[in-house]
This record gives sequence, structure tokens and C-alpha cells, in this order.
Amino acid sequence: MDSLLRVSNLNVAYRTDGDAVTALRNVSFTLEEGETLGITGASGSGKTSLGLALLGLLPVATKISGEIRFAGKDLKAGSKEIAKLRGSGISMIFQEPALALNPVLRVGKQMVHVLRSHGKKTSELRREIDHAFHGTGLTNPERIAHAYPHQLSGGERQRVAIAQALVCRPQLLIADEPLSSLDPITQGEILELLQRLKKDLNLSLLFITHSAAILSTVADRVLIMRDGEFIASGALSELRDNASDRYVRAVLSPAQEIASSRTVHSDRLEPPEQPSLIQVAHVSKRLVQNHFLFREKFAIFALRNVNLEMWAGTTTALIGESGSGKSTLARCIAGFETIDTGQILLNGSAIKTNSPPKQVQLIFQDAATALNPRLTAAQLVAEPMELAKVGNPTEREQRVLELLEEVGLDTDSRFRLPHQFSGGQKQRIAIARALSLNPQLLILDEALSGLDVPLQARMVQLLLKLQSKYRLSYLYISHDLNFLSLFAEEIAVMHEGTIVECLAPKALPHASHPHTQALFASSRKLHAPGLVEASVLDSSS
Amino acid sequence: MIRYLLRRAGRAVLLLVAVSILLFLLLQAAPGEFLSDMRLNPQISEETLVALRAEYGLDQPLPSRYLHWLESVARGEMGYSFAYNLPASQLLWPRARNTLLLTIPALILSWTIAIPLGVLAAWRRGRWSGRIFSAGTSTLLAIPDLLLALLLLLLALRTGWFPGGGAVSSLGSERFGDRIWHMLLPVAALTIGALPVILRHIRAALVEALESPFIRAAQAHGVSTVRILFSHSLRAAANPLISLFGLSIAGLLSASLLIEVVMSWPGIGPMLVEAIISRDLFLVIGAVMLSTLFLVLGSLIADLLLYVADPRIRVR
Repeated sequence: MDSLLRVSNLNVAYRTDGDAVTALRNVSFTLEEGETLGITGASGSGKTSLGLALLGLLPVATKISGEIRFAGKDLKAGSKEIAKLRGSGISMIFQEPALALNPVLRVGKQMVHVLRSHGKKTSELRREIDHAFHGTGLTNPERIAHAYPHQLSGGERQRVAIAQALVCRPQLLIADEPLSSLDPITQGEILELLQRLKKDLNLSLLFITHSAAILSTVADRVLIMRDGEFIASGALSELRDNASDRYVRAVLSPAQEIASSRTVHSDRLEPPEQPSLIQVAHVSKRLVQNHFLFREKFAIFALRNVNLEMWAGTTTALIGESGSGKSTLARCIAGFETIDTGQILLNGSAIKTNSPPKQVQLIFQDAATALNPRLTAAQLVAEPMELAKVGNPTEREQRVLELLEEVGLDTDSRFRLPHQFSGGQKQRIAIARALSLNPQLLILDEALSGLDVPLQARMVQLLLKLQSKYRLSYLYISHDLNFLSLFAEEIAVMHEGTIVECLAPKALPHASHPHTQALFASSRKLHAPGLVEASVLDSSS
Repeated sequence: MIRYLLRRAGRAVLLLVAVSILLFLLLQAAPGEFLSDMRLNPQISEETLVALRAEYGLDQPLPSRYLHWLESVARGEMGYSFAYNLPASQLLWPRARNTLLLTIPALILSWTIAIPLGVLAAWRRGRWSGRIFSAGTSTLLAIPDLLLALLLLLLALRTGWFPGGGAVSSLGSERFGDRIWHMLLPVAALTIGALPVILRHIRAALVEALESPFIRAAQAHGVSTVRILFSHSLRAAANPLISLFGLSIAGLLSASLLIEVVMSWPGIGPMLVEAIISRDLFLVIGAVMLSTLFLVLGSLIADLLLYVADPRIRVR
């Protein structure tokens, strides 16, 4: 039987200022009807370019060549015929549902646009939309259709995006990191939904992700990409068992790398009589929002009676869904925001907002926006020292060199600007900058979430090395429970503005709070047995 | 909604008051007054001048003159023109009507031309037609309004297809077709002058919108190009364009003053120039205040449109 999709010799090259950058090189593969094909690889390996090329959505100035055979029709890559398949033959969902929907149009209106563009009659619209929303588990289609995207939750938005992608009954759905911006509980739900829809509609899925754990639950077959080429293909378990290539191993089981570096420090002992570094006691904070147009004010509790204690040289993970107050707590500890009641003690003295403590430094998710694009790496790292008037210029220069070496950057590259570094390198610069004032606590607010999994693992290795050297403490904010339980000593679970439970990763299966249990359960779904060997989740099961 | 509008309107009134005070202060600081020229005339005695100053109220201190002016605004007179011996409002309103007769069609025309053209240019970005478009708007942008008006006048005089100025063929004849015929050139000058700025903004805003992820998602779901451009992108790009709409009203008004003078159109422009030269204090103030009023109304309309267009402003 003929395959649903056969791609042969697909080449894609982007043109930038006269240079051609190859994104895909001689890519060939087939996809059967009803099959789920997982595509994985480090960031920049060409995964997303592949998805966009199949839909003819690459920028105008891109060089494309190759043949695509879809549902018995031969098409040239990049041709106009491919555009006609969009929505009715091949459709796609994207990483960030908040950005995938037009913010100024009602959701129902956007559905109408999709249906109308495929020649549906006015009389059919209502029924089709209701049907599509019900199919994706949205029980109140009326409300959803009348809402603007900002009035929906993250999970609802991704459901709407899926409904929109599937409303004209395509045979192939390309899912580009559909889960990575969602919290674990929603991730589990959306994954279940995709699998159900696939069965109900006899869909083929092209699942693009850098998380091997997700692929192990969904994919029948996996293709691994590096620098625009397929370097391995087959069932995930086979690939993992026979992986001789270091890259394949890093992509498929990144946890091993952390495990190896963690064993070195696992005998680290915590003196019980040691006073705590940070003590958060009964902290509450209300956020008073000024109405944009009117003078009305309304308050929401961002933090409610939060208690947390941290010691020197330890890693505490803070987990919770978006909006649960994780970042607010982090900003309060860093002294950027005031608290209404309670107190936060650093080494026994209260943190003041008018002089945020130098011992606490924040690192943010997006290093690209956290670094001034007009300063060189050396200037960026030296800036905090200049502001704090530490040492003289030569001493500072010396310190910059030390720091860059410490975070694993080539010191010769210190005169480059941020855009000349890769994502991981940028985050290294941010870490070097944070270290420049010898902090005791680093707050990593989703600091690694933008990086692909092998890179995250390498960054954690670096963090652990720095931790043992300087007795640093980390407050690691994330929503990836599987990943953070590999290296955190303690996990604080945040829910609706308060910390509901603090526990060691080993104790997760015996969690007492229902929210922790739900988090753990949905993380288990995304977790591949045997994949993350060192994971405590695994050893406890 | 009502409260939002009331707040905006309140702000507009405050702005008008502030502008009027500033105007009084500036004109006070400017050298000379309406009677300065008479003073040079030896046949007019000092007593007559003092009497005239008292009659026009020019001998009074600034605050009391301002209060007098406010009073006359409340009566709907907007001060008194020394040169014409008439309340300023009687002179200004027909002139204002003529100015609006140019600016409103120019406003409508420039936007109706600019929106489809700008959308098209954004869609064709990076291709040859897009580049030709950019070169064209840059050239238009570089031509000063004055030169444009003179070029059009030259065209009118050489060919005789259009009238060389004025608003009607002969005084007293108020035929509709004749009016339109006289409007063509000044409106064309204003439209061509305003077009490149608006076009470039529409193109830039749309290019940005077209590169946003939700447009790619809509394309991936098979939404047709026309819908992508006119429903999705234009709506998403609307906010800065609506603000620009308010600004373009101001731009057209000030450009109109110049065009009117060059093309001898009986709008506020020529009157303002005349009043400034003869130091006809209240007429200057009246003309400037009127322009300010139109401008404020324009931005009020823009605010209202913004409120309607962006659900995120409404709900918050």
C-alpha cells in the first residue's frame, strides 16, 4: 500500500544577507496512515523547518527543493499545490497556544475563517464549530466561541488551536512542541486528547519535540535529526539500546549526564545545626491592580501565608502551575517586591526592598532579552561589579576572565555581542553575571526552559559544579517535575499562592496533598520507564 | 464606555484651556500690536490711539483681557477682529467649513487608498513589486508639500484642465459641480502629501503582524490569503494605525493651511496668515483655537475607535 506521506530529497536553505544557511539536507522519510512519527533532535537541528516545509510556510526567500507525495499526489516542495493542502490535508499546531490565536478576534470568528476558507456554507458553520469544540473536550462551545483568546486558560487555548487545526478534517497533523509551554497536569490532558483524536479520526501524527520522554509515550517510530539531516530512525527502545553515538544518547537520555555529575556530590552532608540561609515565614502579598481605564481597583492574593526554608549549598525546586505565585515569591526573596505581612530573612536579617541584597541573584528564562544587546560579554559580566564599585578596572577584568572560564565560555569570545552567542552560551553569560558579586543564592526562574533537553542537562551539570565549589544555593523554578527531581534536594509545591507541600523527590509517590499527587500522576504519564535511569521517580516505582 | 469618553472629553477641554492661555502669553510676548502701524502715521493723534486702545481693551492687563475673551467665547463670538470690525467667529466659521471641505475628503481618500495598497505592499515584501513600492513612497515622502502644490498648479495652468485657484468660478455662483471641480487640486495635493507616511506605517505594522505566530497558525490551518490579510493581520495591526489616524488629522490640518495659501482656497490658512501680518490678535487666537479643536476632536475619535477595536482594552 502507498504511504500517506513520502518525502524525498527535501532540501531547505535560508538566505540571510547573501549567505545560504542549510536547514534541511536530503531529508527523506515516509509516514503511514494512522502512524505517529516522532521527530527529535537538539534545537537548531531543523525540526521546525521540516514541519513548515511540509506546509509551504517557509519565508519567501528560502530555497526549497525535493518531492513530496501526499495521499497519492506528487507535489513539488514549495509549490502552490502544497498551500492548497493546508487545513484539509495537512494541518499544524504550535508550541505556544497563547500566540497561535489572534488576540483581537473572537475564537469562534477565527474558526469561521478557517471553515469559510475551505468553502463551507453558512448553514454548516455552527454545527461544525460545535462539533469540533466538543471533539476536543470543550464542553461549553457557546462560551468558548464568544471568548477572546485572553479570556481562556492555557489548556483551553491549546484545545481551541487543535479544534481549529482539525475542523476541516486533515489526514496529517504536525504537532510542533504542543506541550512544552503547558503545566504538567494540562500536558497530560492534551497528550491524552491528541491520542484519542488520532484514534477517532484515523489521523497520522508528526510529533516534533525535544523531549524523548514524551515521544516514548506517543511515537510508533522516531527520527533523530542533527544539523538538518536524519542520523537515526526506528523504534525508540531500539534506538536507545543501540545508541553508540554520543549525540543520540544525549538526546534520548539526557538524565544520564546529570546522574553522573550528581553522584560526585551525593555524599554532601547537611550539618543539621547549620542556620538557614533563607527563611520565609508567613509571607502574604496582595497584588492591587489599577484598572486600565477606570479608577476601580481589585486585589488578588499573589501569596498567601508562604513558609519556606533554605540552607546553604542546597537546591530547592519550586513547582506549580502558571499563576500560582512562583515568580512573585522569587521576586520577593530577591527584594524586588514588597510583602504585606510576614517576613523574609536572609542570614537572619530581614530583606529590604530599597536595597535588594547582593547575595541573592535572579536568572530569567529568556537570556536573549535579559542581556543588553549593545554590550559585549565582558561588559555584561563586569557591569554588576562596576555598579557595586568592586575593585579597580584591572581587578574586574581579571574577575571577568575567571568567571567566563568558570561557566565554560571561551575567554577569547568576551568581546562579542550577545547575538553572536547561542542560546546556551547566552544563559552561561547570564550565570557568569549573576556570579560576579559572589552571591549565596541563585534564583533560576525557568532559566533553562528555553533550552533543549541535552543542553539543559549540560547546564545543570555546570550548576552542580558551581554549587559544590562555592556552596551556592539554588531556588530552581520550573514546571518539569521529571527533570527537576533529578537534582533537587527538596521540592516545594506551590498552588494558588501558597506552598502546599515541601518534600524530597523520593517522597513524591507518598505525597499527601492532592495537588502534589495530581502533579506526580501527570508527570508519570510523560515519563518513560527506563529512559531516565537515574530518576528518583523511577527508582521509587 | 460613557465614563471613558467623559474622561477623555474632560482632558480635551483642559487641553484647549491650556492652549488658549499659552497663546495669550506668546502673543503678549511677541513685539507689536494691531495699532503699531497707525502709530507710525503722523496724521493720527496720540489721543485717538489711546481711545482706540481703550476701545479694543488693549490697555487692560493680560488676565482681564483673557477673562473678557473667555466671556466672548461663551457668547459664541471668540473675540473681536480689529481689522474686520466683526466678531471673530463670524469670520472663522465659514472659513473653517472650507478647510474641513478639503481635509475630510483628503483624510478619507488617503486612507481608502493607503489601506489596500499598504496591505498589498506588506504581502509582497521581499519581492520586486514590494521594493518598487518602497522606492516610490520614499520619493513621494521626499517631495515637500509646497513643491507638490506648485507642481499641481503648474499642471493646472499649462493644461487648463483645472482651475488655478479659489473655491468657485465667480463670486456668488454656488454650483455643486463647480465646487467639486475647484476642490480637486487642493484635495489631491493634500492626499498625495499625506499618503506616503500613512502607507509606510500601514506596511510596517502589517509586516510585523504577518510575521506573528498566530498568522502562521492561521495559514497552517488553511485560512485564505485575503482573510489572512484583511481580517487577521489588519485587525491585529489596527492599534498603532488608529493612533496614526488621529495624528494624520493633525497633519492634514496643518498641511491644509499651507495648501490653502498656495492655491488661494478661502480656508482658515489664508486668514491666519493675514491676521498674523496685521496683528489681528483675536483672529489669530480664534484660528489657532479652531485648529486645536479639530485636532483634539480627531484624537478623541481615534481613542473611541481604539476602544472599539481592541478587546483587551475593553475587558481590562
